[in-house]
Amino acid sequence: MKFKSFMAFTGPSNIVMSVLLIFPLLYAFWLGLHFITFRTLNDPVYVGLSNYRDVLNDPAFWAAMRWTLVVIVVAVPAHMILGFLIALLLDQIKGRMRAFYLAAALIPMIVVPLIGTIIFAQLFDPPGLFAWAYRSVTGDIFVFNETSMKQAILAHTIWISSPWAIILFFAGMQTIPRELVDASSIDGANRWQQIRHVMIPHLRPLILLTAMIGVMDMFRLFDNVFVLTRMNPVFKADTVLAYNYRAALDNDRLGLGNATAVILVVAIIVALVPLLYVTYRDQIRER
Amino acid sequence: MRPFTHPAARLCLHVILWFIVLYSTLPFLWATLNSLKTKRDANARVPKLIFDPTLDNFSEVLLRATPDNGAVIATVLAGILGVLVVVGVLAKRIPFSTTGIYWMIAAVVAVVLWQIPNFMRMADIYDDFLNTVIVCTGAVLLSITIGSFAAYGLARYTGISGTVILLAAIAFRSMPRMGYILPYYQTSQDLGIYDSYLLLIVVLVAINQPFTIWMLRAFFVNVPRELEEAAMVDGASRFGAFRKVVIPVAWPGIVATSLFTLLVVYHEFILVRILSQKNQTLTVSMSQYVGGISVPGGIPQQSAASLLAVIPLILVVLIFQKHFVRGIAEGAVKG
Repeated sequence: MKFKSFMAFTGPSNIVMSVLLIFPLLYAFWLGLHFITFRTLNDPVYVGLSNYRDVLNDPAFWAAMRWTLVVIVVAVPAHMILGFLIALLLDQIKGRMRAFYLAAALIPMIVVPLIGTIIFAQLFDPPGLFAWAYRSVTGDIFVFNETSMKQAILAHTIWISSPWAIILFFAGMQTIPRELVDASSIDGANRWQQIRHVMIPHLRPLILLTAMIGVMDMFRLFDNVFVLTRMNPVFKADTVLAYNYRAALDNDRLGLGNATAVILVVAIIVALVPLLYVTYRDQIRER
Repeated sequence: MRPFTHPAARLCLHVILWFIVLYSTLPFLWATLNSLKTKRDANARVPKLIFDPTLDNFSEVLLRATPDNGAVIATVLAGILGVLVVVGVLAKRIPFSTTGIYWMIAAVVAVVLWQIPNFMRMADIYDDFLNTVIVCTGAVLLSITIGSFAAYGLARYTGISGTVILLAAIAFRSMPRMGYILPYYQTSQDLGIYDSYLLLIVVLVAINQPFTIWMLRAFFVNVPRELEEAAMVDGASRFGAFRKVVIPVAWPGIVATSLFTLLVVYHEFILVRILSQKNQTLTVSMSQYVGGISVPGGIPQQSAASLLAVIPLILVVLIFQKHFVRGIAEGAVKG
């Protein structure tokens, strides 16, 4: 395709993305250089880089960053492995039950995240199922502490991210050429060897894609922290976005909030560099 | 993979899968159960599985006043729905353009939805439901249209700009909404389009473009170049070949991407909350209803509201579930 045609086809999309995605980011950077509150929206006061310095010197920010990284390191592999296993099981079913199981497995993804989180949190309130089970087993009323809150956040994150992994891996498994599987059986491979040496290499681009989407989404984790902790700082379970929310909206320092957002963008891009590089290399090789 | 054949293994398989079904849907089922309970039953110390169900929670959320001829209206609506479903299922056998039939079904649904407030006094949530339909449909149509053009360009062009745009798109997808709310808020106030459908649709389209072009590109890459090259040799322009050859072949992928886009747009909370006050979507208004400190109806009413907010999307996705999975299987596999 000629460059001119390429520009024509991608034109509308490029314009929309430039105007609405790039420009606001620059504006947010500019806003981060000022001191603004909701009351002084039209009179920003220039304060140079002090907002950025405040964020980077804030121990709460680094605590939030540490916890976010913990979530990524735990939840990304966990939901990928869980999704892979469930997809393997689904692959075994043919016929109408397959559609049913798949639909049920997708429910956590389809339900609106914020509302799904609220429903999830209701299980832990006094009249909820989990709280009742806990009471029956231990006789104590269930109350969150820091550890159990973090465990609940991790569990919920895995629960809500698995459907993505399930559907991508399941779809990928449908496209494995039968000849490869048959050839490996003829060569005497048992089931585990087939999975390790035929299926997983074939799914490599999907594994990369799932990992990338997982990292990006975990970095932006906010809903379940917001709902489960009700923004109570005692749990020390703020992710970076929760920190951002608290700084910007609770403490009414919008300049700081924007500065945090810009810093987060840089952080996410840095975190994605290894994955992006591998994707880029795959792309070049494809050509 | 070769399927297990041993009957004990098959049984284990189904048992495990049922556990997975339970694990996936438990909170949702619990909320459904709660929404049918009275307030006393829902707050019971020992959760009740057996109770007298009631629809009051739903009617309190949905209607301002129960209509006198409620049964008649319900029957008529059910009848219309039944006719539409039957026509939709048999569409291919009717000697009339299938696309035309689908358009007519959509038109009937739109008119019915529009006219319902004339028969029943709906609560404010109904306006939000209509807002959701308008905003989501607009955003998905616009996003898929400009996204398809861009994705096709990215799929066929071999220069470095293509890769640059793709990688930049991924980077943009990962940006937190916090960085956008203030710029969008300020600019929309200055431009005077705050709290309008136009603003919501355009913003939602832009936010989701990276994902849309990424996914659509994977599908277009899987369409063999020979097809459109043959069309161009026969005299079609690049655009004409795109429209007449590539799009029909990639159609399952386009449908799958539309569904994913619908999912993301429907879920959007922060931006819609900040950028609208009267034209909010169901997601936002129900979240505020449910997340409020105290709702008169208590837990059952909150559960009913939650369900009303999520069920439209669940229905749409379940109806098109086949396309969903098939589209992904056929295209996104290449990443």
